[in-house]
Amino acid sequence: MNFVENELQLLALSFMGLVYILRLRWFLRFKAGAERQRPTASSDTSRVRGILYSWANIASPWAMESTRLKPFFYAQFVIFHLGVTAGIGLSFVIPYAPGLLQNISVVRIFQGIMICAAVVGGYRLYRRLSHPAVRLISTSDDIFSLSLLIVWLGFAVWVAPNRPDLGEGPLLIYFILTTFFLIYVPFSKISHYLYYPFTRYYFGKSMGHRGVYPIKRVPQRKPTRI
Amino acid sequence: MPEKIRSHKAKKVIERMGQKLNRQMVGSLVACVHCGMCTESCHYVLANPDDPTFAPAYKADQIRKIFKRHFDWTGRIFPRWVKAQDIYTEEELEMLKDIVFGKCTNCRRCSINCPMGVDFATLNRMARGLLTSVGIMPEGVAAVSKDQWEIGNQMGVLKEDYLETLEWLSDELENEMGDPAARIPIDRMDANVVYAINPREIKYDPRTISDAARIFYMAGENWTMASKEWDMTNFGLFSGDDELGAAMVRRLYEKVMELRGKKLVMSECGHGYRAVRCEGPNWAGMDLPFEMESSVVTMLRYIREGRIQVDRNKNDLPVTFHDSCNNARSCGFFEEPRELLSLVVADFREMYPNRAENYCCSGGGGAMSMSEYTSLRLKAAKVKADQLKATGAKIVATTCHNCVDALTDLIRHYKLGMQVTQLANLVSNALVIEKKSSYLPKF
Repeated sequence: MNFVENELQLLALSFMGLVYILRLRWFLRFKAGAERQRPTASSDTSRVRGILYSWANIASPWAMESTRLKPFFYAQFVIFHLGVTAGIGLSFVIPYAPGLLQNISVVRIFQGIMICAAVVGGYRLYRRLSHPAVRLISTSDDIFSLSLLIVWLGFAVWVAPNRPDLGEGPLLIYFILTTFFLIYVPFSKISHYLYYPFTRYYFGKSMGHRGVYPIKRVPQRKPTRI
Repeated sequence: MPEKIRSHKAKKVIERMGQKLNRQMVGSLVACVHCGMCTESCHYVLANPDDPTFAPAYKADQIRKIFKRHFDWTGRIFPRWVKAQDIYTEEELEMLKDIVFGKCTNCRRCSINCPMGVDFATLNRMARGLLTSVGIMPEGVAAVSKDQWEIGNQMGVLKEDYLETLEWLSDELENEMGDPAARIPIDRMDANVVYAINPREIKYDPRTISDAARIFYMAGENWTMASKEWDMTNFGLFSGDDELGAAMVRRLYEKVMELRGKKLVMSECGHGYRAVRCEGPNWAGMDLPFEMESSVVTMLRYIREGRIQVDRNKNDLPVTFHDSCNNARSCGFFEEPRELLSLVVADFREMYPNRAENYCCSGGGGAMSMSEYTSLRLKAAKVKADQLKATGAKIVATTCHNCVDALTDLIRHYKLGMQVTQLANLVSNALVIEKKSSYLPKF
């Protein structure tokens, strides 16, 4: 158990780090396209403002029509990613700060967030399989990654009280699943967070330079026919 | 099973994809999480809710699968796991053509609605460019591109016809103003403004040239048009052919430099403005010694500086404004037209949504030249038709010639009974003309 909680995790984490470094090296080998033209931006927009606005997109559900008109979808996104973060955090807390889990409130907070995330994950899987467009674009990797995350979140909820005295099985499975994820993630769509800062940086830079970002939106009364 | 033979064209497409990829494109190719958030931002999807193949992410995946199969690790090793797929035949390339040219107007609305910052429009343009490089493109795009390469303008207008049109427009202006100096100057050196136009104006809409000429004259501007290299449009933007893009803008830039013009002013053409003002310096690799602006900005300045007087009550019908995607979503050009409209029309009605969130007119990305996709285009135009109808306006103004044609087409198709016009027409109509010997200073 000690090996699975410690050395195995560190090995898997090192592997993930190494693959990420290689991935980034590969990505950065491609030359970035430059913007030669003078800014088309008005005085209240610029490259820097565009980049900051673009990065802040993750926390600005009003910035895009796609999240503005679908607050439920945005809430799902937040809950799901918080749950995954809690699950990852737990894999460090159990071996390195188990004392934290002596406090039942902390355990309940972890469990609450991860249960919500697992429920949202379930809904996302349902949507992925039932929404015609999303089903059409889904790959085996998309479905597998999501399914496995739901299972992993389930085990995380189970092991959050950190009671190996009641049986090491669930803890072992949780840590083995975590190890698997650490190895699998760099090759799967879950690694999207690695690219997020870059894609949003370049898009924001260009849109800021051209005066599109920050999006200027003059609130209008939505006509009933649209 | 016999080994699949790859066609020469498919080989070239794959090879050139590797040469075209830059960091922004690769980012957009690897970062999509297939969340589907882009789906309902697309006017094709909204008009075809039962057909998931219109979803932007699906369309992007048709390009992405080739990238994954040849350039991405996971796709090369486990292609089926991530839907990486190879491309072999010309039929497959033709199918890709129908998607990137026929099912997307490169309007970039999905790009600004993607949480990951995936710029699908850039990917789509890249795919168009790859197909164009092997001769696979809609007939109309091929014909227009050929005219731009060979004759120097997209409608194949010959120099004689161009100069003759400007000549009779000059005669009309001179008669109207009663001033022999009220003419369209050609190749005047050291002018403050070199005015470039869309060939559509010469061929189908010369009143827009005379409206612009009237405004320049009334403002007492030292301006000129070029006897050649006057086309501001650029089918390289639509076809994805960066070489054509660069060649067209370089001709225009060099002409302005040859005339020692201080500023290049472009008439109201959405893609032309984007190509010349925003993308051109990148394609041509040139840092330009002169300024560039849209004629909308020029007209607005004339009013602000008191160089022309306007009476907004002369345009008393309700007017709405359609934002060209290339202007608004790719160049951030959306406030100036509104400011100008507020000065020259009595009843302005905003459309919803607007500015960078506006819907495409359905004629973007060169769609008006691709007659094989007309039925798809008109069906997708339902979204814009509903937008227009909801304003209750009688006139829709826009800063783009492509949009003028697409809007005219959809207004007829959906029987909206509206007129389409450009800002130069409205400004010209609102001009307060006082009789005096000449508005022109001595040059």
